Amino acid sequence: MYESFFRNFNSKVALTAEEEALIKNYLSPKKIRKKQYLLQDGDICKNIAFIEKGALKSYSVDDNGNEHIIQFALEGWIIADLYSFLTGEPATYNIDAIEDSELVLINKAAHEELLVKFPKYETFTRLNITNAYLAMQRRLTSIISSPIEERYSNFIAIYPDIVQRVPQHMIASYMGLTPETLSRIRRRILSK
Amino acid sequence: MKTKQTVAVIGATGNMGSAIAKSLSKGNYRLLLKSNKQDELDALVKEIKSRNGNADIEAAVCPVEAGWEADIIILAIPYEAEKEAAERIREVANQKIVVSIANPLNGTFDGLLTTPDTSAAEELQKLLPNSKVIKAFNTTFAADFSTPVIDGKQVDAFIAGNDEDALQIVSELVATAGFRPIIAGDLHVSRTLENMQLLLIRLGMKYNYNWLAGWKILHN
Repeated sequence: MYESFFRNFNSKVALTAEEEALIKNYLSPKKIRKKQYLLQDGDICKNIAFIEKGALKSYSVDDNGNEHIIQFALEGWIIADLYSFLTGEPATYNIDAIEDSELVLINKAAHEELLVKFPKYETFTRLNITNAYLAMQRRLTSIISSPIEERYSNFIAIYPDIVQRVPQHMIASYMGLTPETLSRIRRRILSK
Repeated sequence: MKTKQTVAVIGATGNMGSAIAKSLSKGNYRLLLKSNKQDELDALVKEIKSRNGNADIEAAVCPVEAGWEADIIILAIPYEAEKEAAERIREVANQKIVVSIANPLNGTFDGLLTTPDTSAAEELQKLLPNSKVIKAFNTTFAADFSTPVIDGKQVDAFIAGNDEDALQIVSELVATAGFRPIIAGDLHVSRTLENMQLLLIRLGMKYNYNWLAGWKILHN
């Protein structure tokens, strides 16, 4: 139920068995089925979700009803509308499950208390946020300055597991392309 | 809340469990029903689906699976069965809302099994220290769910608990069931709420209310 969570935690900061047992009290195991929402925009994001097993995505919906995927999250990753979680303002993202998934949820009150009581949790959180920031910076740079083909090549090089598991139309949405454009690019790359 | 919450009803084929399941199936909830009586459970799921084609409802395999998937767990079981159920769901109920509906009545319906310094809800909280136990649906009879307006007045339903967010979420559940939710206070107020139902049961037996009765706070 928490194996992947603690493996990930221990890879960043080593915990004693006693600390693991205490931290476990603050975690909530949650199963979610494919296509179910973890969060809908307009609601307040009350949890950070760690993916124990499965895959989720966060996305925004524009005025024309088109989905724009912000992030994918597979095992060992974290997903949330961090802006909403941290400020308490309504979420602008939706989060749903791409596959049947198992999550470890950390609610706001539990998160705050863990930060105060466990300096190792604070380190864990800092590393997670740092990683998320780096990923976002990479994504932003790539969107504004890289040619489309290079963007896709980089994406499959960095995230081969996502390419394996996530349908192409979602990857197209993540890259800001139509599925047709993405499939043209894929053909071009393959023929090289 | 827009995001659909998953509610597990443990003991779903009992009088209260089935009444709660039927009334919540009209709301924006995904329901997972669990009972030891599989035939009755399948019949209940079928009945709810035939009445409401949009109902998002399913029979669950076991309480642990149901609790694991749930955001809110309703224990629609007698007080005496809560201990065993709590032990089974303890891990999956971590940090989740667990609704205690039980009244710890004795066998002759003239007193409570709990001592005056505690309540069924507080005992459940001790068994589930990492869950958000909320007292609700204990002052409403099963028949009230199909008739939440009695004598022209909407029945009040009292809620007690220690977590503000959880109280709000359970208030929405209570309102979906058709009652007027009233947050009565902290979890220890459950002592009063459980005694209120004892009184209502005693009065019902004495004056033949026929199990259709409820509480209404009159105020200006």
